[in-house]
Amino acid sequence: MQKDDINTIKFAAIICLVCSMALAGVQGALRSTQERNKRIDEQINVLKALAPDFNPQGEALSEQEQEKYFLVGDVPKDWIPVYFDEFVEQNEIEIAEADTRILYQLKNPAGEIVSYAFPAEGKGLWSTVHSYVGLEPDLATIRGITFFDHGETPGLGGEASKPWFQKNFRGKKLWDNGEPVRFEVAKGSADPETDYKVDGMSGATITGNGIQRFLNKTFREYNSAVFKSKRAM
Amino acid sequence: MPAINKIVLDPLSDNNPITVQMLGICSALAVTAQLPTAFTMSLAVTAVLCGSNTIISLLRHHIPDKIRMIVEMVVIASLVIVVDQILKAYAFEISKQLSVFVGLIITNCIVMGRAEAFAMSHPPKEAFLDGLGNGLGYSAILIIVGFIRELLGFGTLAGLKILPESYPGNGLMVIAPGAFVVIGLLIWLQRSITKKYEEV
Repeated sequence: MQKDDINTIKFAAIICLVCSMALAGVQGALRSTQERNKRIDEQINVLKALAPDFNPQGEALSEQEQEKYFLVGDVPKDWIPVYFDEFVEQNEIEIAEADTRILYQLKNPAGEIVSYAFPAEGKGLWSTVHSYVGLEPDLATIRGITFFDHGETPGLGGEASKPWFQKNFRGKKLWDNGEPVRFEVAKGSADPETDYKVDGMSGATITGNGIQRFLNKTFREYNSAVFKSKRAM
Repeated sequence: MPAINKIVLDPLSDNNPITVQMLGICSALAVTAQLPTAFTMSLAVTAVLCGSNTIISLLRHHIPDKIRMIVEMVVIASLVIVVDQILKAYAFEISKQLSVFVGLIITNCIVMGRAEAFAMSHPPKEAFLDGLGNGLGYSAILIIVGFIRELLGFGTLAGLKILPESYPGNGLMVIAPGAFVVIGLLIWLQRSITKKYEEV
């Protein structure tokens, strides 16, 4: 080997070492702040599913306020932890053997449960799409839904995190006549008469199919594990 | 050696990376629907440009010629990851909106172009200023486009209502083709003012 080549290899090794050390250092220093952001973001999403039309004080919101507080994600950060722990109860439930999941319950000041939410996630086109589904106390009607923390194409599958798409789920049903429905994300516009179809995102069929698949799957799991027996009560 | 103010001022108009060199168009289309994202992206790119130009200039006598571009890439990629991490920690909402486009600064031709064309052959101080000038030139276009698109698209500026409530918003401005139109008009405007263009 020539002296030149050895120098090249040496230089490459040093550059790689220095850069990776620097990146590891930055990552380590910022990790706790990033994790806190993620936790708050997660809680905001739980709240968006549980209570899409209430503000932090529990008062009903006007249409414009709804956009502002819950559907755009512009929530004042300081109230989240207090509000969250005060009204939101977090239960671990057993879905299948050795598989426990979370069920959130939102209680009003009198202690009655006003809505439920459960996490759902699955593959879109490029990435795992995370979601919270909020249900009315009847455990059948969608109260609110969020899609977040995904890497879908902005403007196409990324539209899933936009208010218009999420609003489109509200009032739709996952359960009808005593049976779970096959919930659908339509290609194009959904028939406004049906209770279990929502408008799809144009140019994002695969993301829509993925969402449809994981919503149905997760709902069935929760349904057979807890909703069925709760409904019977 | 070029005069210092020429290094900084040239890329603002006469040699603007977007409107004259036609580089970095992708991000200029993608993140300019609203001002805050355009502004954050501008800061990020300027920071990366200054950093990469300075570091590469400092290393320019040591970088082996054979792996020159790979070394430039490693430096740029590292800086972009640092910027991305900082945004995720301190500007979480905006970093979510910018999504993949921060990571894509790595492939922004302006950054690599300045490293190759300038930083490899100039001392650190000039290289830093060149990065700054090009960053500002890029920023100027992004902020102008962001200003026009947000104002016409949503009737707002940085989220504040500017146009009356009755303004319906212009859907074309919100989507990428609107950015093409705005940038195209900007280029036309700039060239008819500076009279610097090639006769066909």
